[in-house]
Amino acid sequence: MPTITLSMKQSITVPLEAENITPDNLAGKSVDEIKAVAVYHGNSEAVIGDFFDVTVEGSGNDPASTEIIMKGDLTRVKRIGEGMSAGSIVIEGDCDMHCGAFMRGGKITVKGNADAWAGREMRGGEIIIEGDAGNYVGSAYRGELTGMRGGKIVVEGNAGDYIGEHIGGGEIIVKGNTGVLPGLSMTGGKIIIEGTATMPGGEMTKGEIIVKGGIIDMLPGFKFEGEEEVDGATLKKYTGDLAVRGTGKGILLVG
Amino acid sequence: MTILIKNGVVFDPAQGIDGEKMDIAIDGDKFVEDVSSPDEVIDAGGRMVVPGGVELHTHIAGGKVNAGRIMRPEDGRKGRIPRGKLTRACSGFSVLNTFATAYTYARMGYTTTFEAAMPPLLARHTHEEFEDTPITDKGALVLLDNNWMTIEYAKSGDLDKLAAYVSWMFNASKAYGIKIVNPGGTEAWGWGKNCSINDPVPRFDVTPKEIIRALAQVNEDLGLPHSIHIHCNDLGHPGNFETTIETYEAVKDIKPSSDRQIMHATHTQFHSYGGSTWGDFESKADAIADYINKNDHVTIDLGVVMFCDTTTMTADGPMEYSLHTLSRRKWSNHDVELETGSGIIPVAYSPKIGVNAIQWAIGLELALLIDDPWKMALTTDHPNGCPFTFYPEIIALLMSKAKRESMLETVSEAVGKRALIATIDRELTWSDIITMTRAAPAKILGMSDTKGSLKVGADADLAIYDIMPESFDPTKDYKTIEDKLMRTVYTIKGGEIVVRDGEITATPHGRTFWVNPAGKKAEAARDGMLEDLERMFRDYYTVSMANYPVQDEYIPHGVEIRTEVN
Repeated sequence: MPTITLSMKQSITVPLEAENITPDNLAGKSVDEIKAVAVYHGNSEAVIGDFFDVTVEGSGNDPASTEIIMKGDLTRVKRIGEGMSAGSIVIEGDCDMHCGAFMRGGKITVKGNADAWAGREMRGGEIIIEGDAGNYVGSAYRGELTGMRGGKIVVEGNAGDYIGEHIGGGEIIVKGNTGVLPGLSMTGGKIIIEGTATMPGGEMTKGEIIVKGGIIDMLPGFKFEGEEEVDGATLKKYTGDLAVRGTGKGILLVG
Repeated sequence: MTILIKNGVVFDPAQGIDGEKMDIAIDGDKFVEDVSSPDEVIDAGGRMVVPGGVELHTHIAGGKVNAGRIMRPEDGRKGRIPRGKLTRACSGFSVLNTFATAYTYARMGYTTTFEAAMPPLLARHTHEEFEDTPITDKGALVLLDNNWMTIEYAKSGDLDKLAAYVSWMFNASKAYGIKIVNPGGTEAWGWGKNCSINDPVPRFDVTPKEIIRALAQVNEDLGLPHSIHIHCNDLGHPGNFETTIETYEAVKDIKPSSDRQIMHATHTQFHSYGGSTWGDFESKADAIADYINKNDHVTIDLGVVMFCDTTTMTADGPMEYSLHTLSRRKWSNHDVELETGSGIIPVAYSPKIGVNAIQWAIGLELALLIDDPWKMALTTDHPNGCPFTFYPEIIALLMSKAKRESMLETVSEAVGKRALIATIDRELTWSDIITMTRAAPAKILGMSDTKGSLKVGADADLAIYDIMPESFDPTKDYKTIEDKLMRTVYTIKGGEIVVRDGEITATPHGRTFWVNPAGKKAEAARDGMLEDLERMFRDYYTVSMANYPVQDEYIPHGVEIRTEVN
């Protein structure tokens, strides 16, 4: 199993657009080839070798068996794993926005925190964020009709605002608390929040949100339907959001 | 600069030239008989040489186009091209930025593009965007039908004052022609209502038909180059073909002031619907085509729908609201005080949805059922039916029954039951296509002296496509049409080579044509009209009359066309 290690040489202020760092792009490449892969530093074109020390262990060119390990200060490295279809990426620290955007398969593990838009519009695969996640986890980007459609995102810590905005499928699990309006304009899929959430499910038309830790500011467009047992816990079941004309097929379960 | 184009297979329907091998000469910005020792010789090598394309109905500049861009950042994520040495950065699929609009039209061989709906109050914005849309020559049609001044004069029958008002407004907004959009309906929408052609407009007690007739008469009284340009009432309603035909009939007795139609009816696909609900919705393209075939006072453009996720934008506010109630997608609604309104909503036309598939069929049926290509122009009502970038595929569909058959396999079965497309064998010729995209729109706009032809004295606008008409069978090789019509080998605009091998080579400013209706007809009732207008500004407008007209600084590349009827 080939392992590619990318170690950030130094901290940067201007963000690095690293959408080319995926197992699909790097699998089977030599150290020198990887160093020559393009990245944008702000608006100037650069290469991976300008920012990272690169080592490759093992051989093979199958993305599915390729692991990329990223080390150093990655807080300004954006779009890691964008569109990846297979293999795995381990980020040993914090990363910047859009990690795993458009992801179709494989696995990304963020050992620290991930900034906003993690797993934006993803279609498949798995993202594990061991720290906190920023806003818009699994969401649609500005104007887009559908966010995440498949796959799974697990946030071990807290997540920010608007997570799962326009989510149409897949699953987001947050072990901690979330901010305002998780599942905004949700049309499918599932969001599980172990902690608290503020105003969940606004404009949702379908899909399911479970908030085990209780809700701050329940939206008025939800109708109480009775109690339901989920994994041994008794939760209150609501449907909505009735503020959206003619629907109300969304399910909100509250602990 | 002089250019000689040799060995081209020329199509120029305005001169009756149908695929003849001949040379074309350019001196400066005009076509000429011949040039001795030309500065540049282009060997067309048997390729198709045609006049530059003329787009008579598109939405490319102004308030609602820009609102569409703001509303759809996700559309701006498509079509991104970084800036080049000559070109600015491009973005957009249905609501392109101004530069993408210009470069794409030019690459497709179009050199004249008319913005079809300019609210007078927002004319500055339209002209500012024209300035940022290089290459093509432009003009704007000004919305005058839901305007309180127009409606009041239509009601009182004071056509001299209306003529004076139209003349003032053309000067104030720097407009080329009169646009009518759902007459009365957009005004009614201010009160949450809509109007069909014989319904009195709320508060005004005048019918849309009277408004249409008044503007048509004034259009001819002033001798404007273009006729009235109308988006009929009841757009998009099942069963609206009767309203459409009644609209055509309404102006039949009016005499045209020049050798052209009295009415140009736009995006006719959206107005050719039968049935009474979306359930029994069907094509009435045959009824519309039959009327056009039997009458000479109306021309149309198609407004073809193709399957894609596009953005609809129109001054027909109530129509956009009803679309919003169907799709619930994000929607914008706008009122332009005293004058008009607008709405914007994204629409995804899907081949699997019966209604959309029938709409697709109707646009093509109109082109195939109308016998005379001089009576119609190819449009998609960009971006309402689909972006103009679908023209090559639409042309392939019109020229090849095989292409239609392959596409029919992928669309809803409703097309077989409630549309006619599958029963039509006609395949249009290159001459038909070049007429519909060049000669006819130029004539309909009243620009046949300068546009849409390669004749001596016309503007040197020309396109060369990488198609050898003498050895090419469009009925079979339709994929090549789709490919080659997207990128010209050469586009020449005003004698300047702006595209070579599909790449932009120059980005000159285009000109903006505007009409100044002068003479006794325009001036007779001017003083009385100005009194009424001053009252309108004093009582209702939020801007003052002195600040209203577009200053000359806004159209540095303006070309005034003066008409004088005494």
